[in-house]
Amino acid sequence: MTGTLLFQSLVLGVLLGGLYALLAAGLTLYFGVMRVVMIAHSAFLILAAYLAWFFHQQTGMDPLLSLVITVPLFFLVGVGMQRLLITRLRPATLTMMSVLLTFAVALFIEGMIGFVWSGTQRRIQLPYSGASIEFFGARIAVVKLVAFALAALALAGLYLLMKHSRFGQALRATIQHREAAQLVGIKTDRVAGFGFGLGLATAAIGGTALSLDATIYPSLHWHWIGPLMAIIVVGGLGSIPGAAIAAMVLGIGQSLLQVPLGTTWAQTIFYVALFATLMLRPQGFFGGRLAQRF
Amino acid sequence: MSPRLSPRTARRRAFAVVAGLSTAALVLTACSGEEGGGGDGSDDPIVVGISLPLTGDFSEPGKGVQRGYEAWAQFINEDGGLLGRQVELKILDDQSNADRVVQDYEALIAQDEVDLVFGPFSTRLVVPSARVAEEYGMLFVEPAGAANEVFEQGFENLFYAAPAVADDHYNYLAEHILAMPEDERPQTVAVAAMDDPFAQGTAYGLRDKLADGGLEIVVDEVYPPNTTDFSSIAAKIDDSDADMVIGGTQYQDAVNLIVSLQQLDYQPQLAAFSTAPTNPEFASAIGAKTEGILSPTGYTENAGWPSNVDFVERYTALHGNAPGEDEANAFTTGQVVAAAVEAVGCAEQGDCQQELVDWLRTNEVETVVGPLSWDETGKPQGAHLIQQYVDGAIQIVLPEDAMEAELVHPKPEW
Repeated sequence: MTGTLLFQSLVLGVLLGGLYALLAAGLTLYFGVMRVVMIAHSAFLILAAYLAWFFHQQTGMDPLLSLVITVPLFFLVGVGMQRLLITRLRPATLTMMSVLLTFAVALFIEGMIGFVWSGTQRRIQLPYSGASIEFFGARIAVVKLVAFALAALALAGLYLLMKHSRFGQALRATIQHREAAQLVGIKTDRVAGFGFGLGLATAAIGGTALSLDATIYPSLHWHWIGPLMAIIVVGGLGSIPGAAIAAMVLGIGQSLLQVPLGTTWAQTIFYVALFATLMLRPQGFFGGRLAQRF
Repeated sequence: MSPRLSPRTARRRAFAVVAGLSTAALVLTACSGEEGGGGDGSDDPIVVGISLPLTGDFSEPGKGVQRGYEAWAQFINEDGGLLGRQVELKILDDQSNADRVVQDYEALIAQDEVDLVFGPFSTRLVVPSARVAEEYGMLFVEPAGAANEVFEQGFENLFYAAPAVADDHYNYLAEHILAMPEDERPQTVAVAAMDDPFAQGTAYGLRDKLADGGLEIVVDEVYPPNTTDFSSIAAKIDDSDADMVIGGTQYQDAVNLIVSLQQLDYQPQLAAFSTAPTNPEFASAIGAKTEGILSPTGYTENAGWPSNVDFVERYTALHGNAPGEDEANAFTTGQVVAAAVEAVGCAEQGDCQQELVDWLRTNEVETVVGPLSWDETGKPQGAHLIQQYVDGAIQIVLPEDAMEAELVHPKPEW
């Protein structure tokens, strides 16, 4: 093991952590706003990746341009899904039943992708697919950098929206205390719908970022949902900064652990962190007070 | 139950008892068969039961195998069928899941009472399904269980319908490298293999031969089948600066690993990956950077075996493109079983299956991958061709008597 390899792994970990952070942010948003466990989040992620691939294949244009279509589309689908499906669940069993409901949605999406585009594994071939830039002895792939920048921009946008817009304030009020938010005149149902749409829009961005540097196939989403779920529990359910920080820490941890332990054991970091969190700090490391302050 | 099953009911029941199965289900099916009553059934189609991974991790090769089986059935039916009877395939989707594949073959054999079974794709699914076939005494010819593990289970009814097992895939390449002059041949080797018996078998067969020949193995990574991010493994290989990289790969792992290596600007002298490079999707995924990549293959559409010329022509007319290795291996499976059925003159459950097994044990079969014969464990007795991307097309480079292009060493930068 050399210093270059360690530094290279660190860089790769930061790039990976950025993507995890964006995806986990969306996932924790659903839970924060509505106590919904959204198993289908990663299925929408893969769907967005397929749409980016399909867009590229049909038009020959850069897959990033597909965001113009997929982000609004996913936002609307999210609002629709919340208003038409999630609100039908009984509040008392919402969290549990939402697992079943979104599990079904995930299977449906996976099946439809396979039906429409077949199970063939796809990859977007870009002129800059294999290109990289030198960074203090480490190499950063252009596609990974683009994906990271996309994730960072989307997260920053999400942060500004949550912190500095009236909608963001309403959303945070709904996360903190739904009844109190209603008392001050916030239409929490509508806000929850928009919150859900926002979460799905992050999946559109994440999926497009993923499509730049991944071979995609319909069942790929099962590989993503486990780590993402672990991240939001470690970060504290409902806390967006918590999810982002946990994603970064675990992403870098996974990348660095691969050097001494190999791929098989490095993957377990998510679940080790999950067990440790549940034993030591069940509300998550950034949950509770921080989640409400955000 | 269809009427044609009734004459065989008694034998099947006796067999079921011998096999020591939970009798209830079988007796039930047997009874319902008797109720059906009626004819001799010699004009009824021969039903072949198959379970394939049409969804999940192995869906890509699984669908190739499906195309091969379907082409075989269609062509044999066009030519008048098997023993004068039409052939009908019954294909189930096992979702790449080892539990499902067992259920599927149980259902096909015990409930659907198929006349013959063909194997699924991938060693991980072949072993559990071969066990089911063995319990029911069915002949089990399979297109894809190439790992050594398959032949160490003591299966007596299993035959692998391809030229060589996984460990022997790279034999020609290993011989070629070890025969190079000391100062030209690669000195260090990096290996990354999926935690899968077939993928590891291919890579480790080559790795061990090179290590015995004095080459140094500097990286030896194993990754689980669900791995999609290969940047860290690529970083390790790049850091070792090995002269040669060997990938024990299936499909998406090879593509992702190769792209990750290119992103790190790692330039080996030789790069060998199993399975993926022979896949038609591969070139469109990697783009123009495939040049010099090596891969073993049990099949090439250009091979001059008599049945292959016919197969390629008809398959191309049907699908608009030539068959790949998965399609060919599936087709070979059909040919092997058909040869046994025609020679023995029966295709049904019961004693017939043992006769088919005995016939294959002692005979050689002409197939689209050449003449095949097997040892007592079902291992075929041959080696794979080595292909390389030369001038933008995948071509045979080893062995010399089948060569389409010279092996390029060192490979151009990717």
